[in-house]
Amino acid sequence: MNKVSCPLYGFATVMLMFTSAVVSAADLVPAASERFAAADNAEVPDFQKHLSPLLGKLGCNGRACHGSFQGRGGFRLSLFGYDFKMDHEQLLDRIDTKAPADSYALQKPTLVEPHEGGKRMEVGSWEYNLFLNWIKGGAPSVAGDPVKLEALEVTPSEIQFTAAGQERQLQVVAVWADGTREDVTCLTRFQSNDDAICDVTSGGLITSGDKGDSHVVVFYDNAVVPVPIIRPVTDEIGEKYPKLAARTPVDEHVQTKLAKLGIIPSDVCTDAEFLRRLQLDLTGTLPTAADVEAFLADASSDKRARKIDELLQTPAYAAWWTTRLCDWTGCSDQQLQNVNPVNRNAGSADWYAWMLKRVSENMPYDQIAEGIVTASSRNPGESYREYCERLSNYYRDKDRSYADQPGLVYFWGRRNFVSNEDRAIGFAYTFMGTRIQCAQCHKHPFDIWTQQDFEQFEQFFARVKFSRGDPKESKKILEELGITGKANGNDQRRAIEKAIADGKTIPFPEVTITSDNNRRRKSKDNPEAGMAKLLGEQSVDLANIDDPRTALMDWLRNSPTKLFAKSFVNRVWSNYFSRGIVEPTDDLSLANPPANAGLLDYLTDGFIAHGYDMKWLHREIVRSDTYQRTWRPNATNAADERNFSRAVVRRLPAEVTYDALTVATLNDEQAAKFLESVSGRAISETSPPRNNANNGRNYALAIFGRSIRESNCDCDRSMEASLLQTLYTRNDRDVELLLTAKNGWLTQLSRELKPQSESAERELAAAEARIERFEKALKTAQKADNQKLTAKAQEQLKSARADAAAARRELNTKAAKFDPQQVVTQAYLRTLSRLPTDEERNVAGGYLAAESDSLTGVKDLVWALINTKEFMLNH
Amino acid sequence: MAVHFTCDGMKRRDFLQIGALGAGAFSLSSFLRLASAGQVDAAAKAKAAIFINLPGGPSHMDTFDLKPNSSDEYRGEFSPIQTKIPGIEICEHLPLLASQMDKFVILRGVSHTLAAHRLGSEYVNSGNRPLPSLEFPGYGAVVTKELGGPSDLPPFVSIPNSNQRPGYLGVQYAPLHTNATPSIGKPFSVRGISLSNGMTVQDVEKRQGLLNKLDTAFAGFESSSQLLEGLDRFSQQAYSMITSPRARDAFDTSKESPAFAEKFGDSGFGQSCMLATRLVESGVRFVTVSTGGWDTHSNNWTNLKSKLLPPLDQGLAALFSGLQEKGLLESTAVFVTGEFGRTPKINTTRGGRDHYPRCMFMLMAGGGIQGGRVIGESNENATEPLNEAISPDDAAASFYHALGIDHTKEYHTNTGRPVMIVRDGNVIDSLFT
Repeated sequence: MNKVSCPLYGFATVMLMFTSAVVSAADLVPAASERFAAADNAEVPDFQKHLSPLLGKLGCNGRACHGSFQGRGGFRLSLFGYDFKMDHEQLLDRIDTKAPADSYALQKPTLVEPHEGGKRMEVGSWEYNLFLNWIKGGAPSVAGDPVKLEALEVTPSEIQFTAAGQERQLQVVAVWADGTREDVTCLTRFQSNDDAICDVTSGGLITSGDKGDSHVVVFYDNAVVPVPIIRPVTDEIGEKYPKLAARTPVDEHVQTKLAKLGIIPSDVCTDAEFLRRLQLDLTGTLPTAADVEAFLADASSDKRARKIDELLQTPAYAAWWTTRLCDWTGCSDQQLQNVNPVNRNAGSADWYAWMLKRVSENMPYDQIAEGIVTASSRNPGESYREYCERLSNYYRDKDRSYADQPGLVYFWGRRNFVSNEDRAIGFAYTFMGTRIQCAQCHKHPFDIWTQQDFEQFEQFFARVKFSRGDPKESKKILEELGITGKANGNDQRRAIEKAIADGKTIPFPEVTITSDNNRRRKSKDNPEAGMAKLLGEQSVDLANIDDPRTALMDWLRNSPTKLFAKSFVNRVWSNYFSRGIVEPTDDLSLANPPANAGLLDYLTDGFIAHGYDMKWLHREIVRSDTYQRTWRPNATNAADERNFSRAVVRRLPAEVTYDALTVATLNDEQAAKFLESVSGRAISETSPPRNNANNGRNYALAIFGRSIRESNCDCDRSMEASLLQTLYTRNDRDVELLLTAKNGWLTQLSRELKPQSESAERELAAAEARIERFEKALKTAQKADNQKLTAKAQEQLKSARADAAAARRELNTKAAKFDPQQVVTQAYLRTLSRLPTDEERNVAGGYLAAESDSLTGVKDLVWALINTKEFMLNH
Repeated sequence: MAVHFTCDGMKRRDFLQIGALGAGAFSLSSFLRLASAGQVDAAAKAKAAIFINLPGGPSHMDTFDLKPNSSDEYRGEFSPIQTKIPGIEICEHLPLLASQMDKFVILRGVSHTLAAHRLGSEYVNSGNRPLPSLEFPGYGAVVTKELGGPSDLPPFVSIPNSNQRPGYLGVQYAPLHTNATPSIGKPFSVRGISLSNGMTVQDVEKRQGLLNKLDTAFAGFESSSQLLEGLDRFSQQAYSMITSPRARDAFDTSKESPAFAEKFGDSGFGQSCMLATRLVESGVRFVTVSTGGWDTHSNNWTNLKSKLLPPLDQGLAALFSGLQEKGLLESTAVFVTGEFGRTPKINTTRGGRDHYPRCMFMLMAGGGIQGGRVIGESNENATEPLNEAISPDDAAASFYHALGIDHTKEYHTNTGRPVMIVRDGNVIDSLFT
């Protein structure tokens, strides 16, 4: 269905074009700087092709100058141009076609008249002559639609420097729709993405700087073209680069880039490092001491691959990636005030459950997205009442859940997803990893989109309504429940909450698609009515589509930009490497090219070819040597943080930090269940709390930067370090409580050392009494055929029996002897997921020996270990 | 090194040069640097600030903007009393504040349009009208970013918690929440700083000694990673906060002289104000105190006179006089506000007043603000400003001005968007003259 309206889109296309472009001098229009060097040229320059870029080049339409929304000195230009109509009108007031040289617009920038912006050009310069000729020629505007720029050819297409201070000149050629080719180097803006690596002049002359790589970005008309600049780190490049085995395609792509830079990747990490890193990244869960011991003891050669497969099957994997998907889709109770009347937290709980079910089943990512993008409330043919019945069942029948609902309608009910503009921005953020908000007010400075593109894209969202439900029917349902409109909001809310708790049917909000009003307005005079335009691509006539969102979903799947798959691949990659192949991960724009385009394309294409199989993507990444490298740098890659030549140390995400503190201090029995039973874990939290509540673990999760899921930005999650984090792990009472918890490792040790037979006897007696009580309750409930009470009694009975078993075990335990070496080993395994070195054994063992109370010594040791950088970081 | 571009084509690196730091890759080091350097407009009088939030939205007509001549529909039960400054009258249930009127300014006819608690609260806690796409940092986050703080004290403390979030500035500018209010004469414990469970400084030193010996995995690589270096700096800072007497003393309200402490009253709010003065005296840069209950849809007057106004009166009056007594009023900017006023027209069915942002009051003091005045005015029934309205943005600009912070300074959000500290405000010059 799609046709690329601008062939500049997609880096690969552009690169190909560079190499095949044969710039023939014969049919090339020379640069404006040559043509207008002398004043005797009679050519009338074009507003779009020459004058508007010149204004940009001179800085006139910058934000600090006339591009400001307030204008300057009463003169306003569109920020970054491309609003030719407005710019032309504004200029008309400042030119004099009868006496062109007296035009105010020429006198200001030449300082004939005082100009706050200073001198921008000399009288008689080619810029001046160009401007003057345009006025002399009658100051023509752009006739009709802007001319289409077919291609912008930049040579050279890639630059490799060998020393600091070397120079290269870029040449830029515009190819217009009519085949005209013009050298526009002098009208082009250039920008270095890292001026430590390379500097670029306004004329396109590049000077090399430090070793490393970056891009120079070239802007002309609506085109944005990045040119890779490389200065190798060592001279081991090309022929001299050592022949390294590339075990997987990921390694091959990474090493291709490293070979250009002369960077040798670090060695593959140890098994202990691998297990810890993998389990934290893939499942958000620190390995237990037993996990580490078992993995180290496994002598088989395929144990890493097997571990990957094993972890991909765990509930912790599903929980952690559900949390990440909830970040990107914006699941937050604060934003879900009105989506579900059942109770105040039902919105995020449903959302999380919906996502978790699909991640657990490994539903293809495009289908998950489709369930959100085209989410409908009612099933086909369902009446509003039937819909309410069905939804009410989700809350009164324990065998059903909102996760069974085909679509995640709540996405459309977010409070920050109401206006068309917010929806356009939020949609592009979630599903394309792209920031289009700039184009809301002006031409996007780093991409091809204009303000008009944004406005036409918004139209896709206009007919989607999230409402409180069918007005008549919902009122009727409320009346049947005895809830009248007279009750105020809060009273009504409570009455509805009570009704559903009592098993009644309540009215639910729903998404509806309103009919297309434009169908009628469409006419010969107004052919654009009812049209919407896919960003940077073709127009769609919404009048012929029942649900405009289906067109959006088709586009996500089929757009040649592949931003849909690419943004997901890039976000998943950044989870494993602490930065994306494109960084920031939510800024996939032409001016922010990937550090390794081949790698991103390989993974994107593979992800699509494998039917958006998320587990394929995870495997493909973590099986590579690239993922499994040590953080220890070698002589060539100490400064490299963008080419994946080694692991980069990074903080653990908030939820993972909290769970790691918990499992590191938990007794062996409960720690063993951590990967499997995730309920109650921080990675299973459905939403940041309402109203910034900071009770319980919310405090820790907030200071460690859990995503606030609020502002369409991957930066809503913070991976920064802060003083409050350090104060927390050093001295917070919550951490102290973890160390001494009843279900903690220290308590376990203390019991092993001196079995508490008396207290165990007491606990056993109490548990047995409870068993008796719950057995009775169960019988009663079964007799009454009350499912809810039956289930409850069964639960209670199970827990009481477990307590009794634990007490019996304790009674049978014999006092163990305190073995400092064993304790030090266990402490290291459960915190740093590795065995201690001899030096560490000496220090820790010595500390324990010097302590009169061995348990206090162990407590200090665990405290010290969870406060090391090695514990707090992934490496 | 990551370079991010902003919407207007400026590179992140440029911000370093102009001093407006993005919250991206540079923020950790910038935080460390600013914390030790500190950029202050030397002419500014305030070096610290106390922000007092009254969530729920206190009724302006029953506190600082009474209209005794209004009809019964509007007036309410309370009568005005004279303050220390002739011509300025406030509610009869605020007698102690009346006697401190020379120290603070009442802003009347403050006006905005956001009648929901959360939105209003975000507005008055940041000075920027909320946007769905951006979370603005609260005052405390901006002030501590701009002015830093001493190394052995938390720069930004909220008692017991606060609606001021770090927003786009990032978690390193979040406040330390005490999560509790102090009680008169009793030691006060603060998470992360106070020693609990019988721990002593010696115990901490011993543990730290062990930690120093074991935290060696990255030895020799610290200088190559901003993160490793930052964690080491935070580690030293945390250690000095926990072990040095300065931080513990600052929070230990039992060390305050009883005569001084008792003036604040024994309410949670009063003692929070007392702690706020103590913290500022110790060198904490920014303190928020929050006391709720002002959402008086029903039983407005009973609640105000029996529960809400007496502790406010006593605590706030003691805060002003206490700061004066300690010589801190000139160097401490104080700002008191709820998220909105309440409907001038009484809700007779429930005996209360409902949300009303179009007309409200705020109080400001210290930091060069000349007290004893009313600035701004509401109309005859306090339904709207009489002349030009004062906006929350204006109040915010003035608050920053008192602290020597240029409210028009631009930050760049993580999405690269340039945003002024206060986007739409003007300093109220008359506050300072």
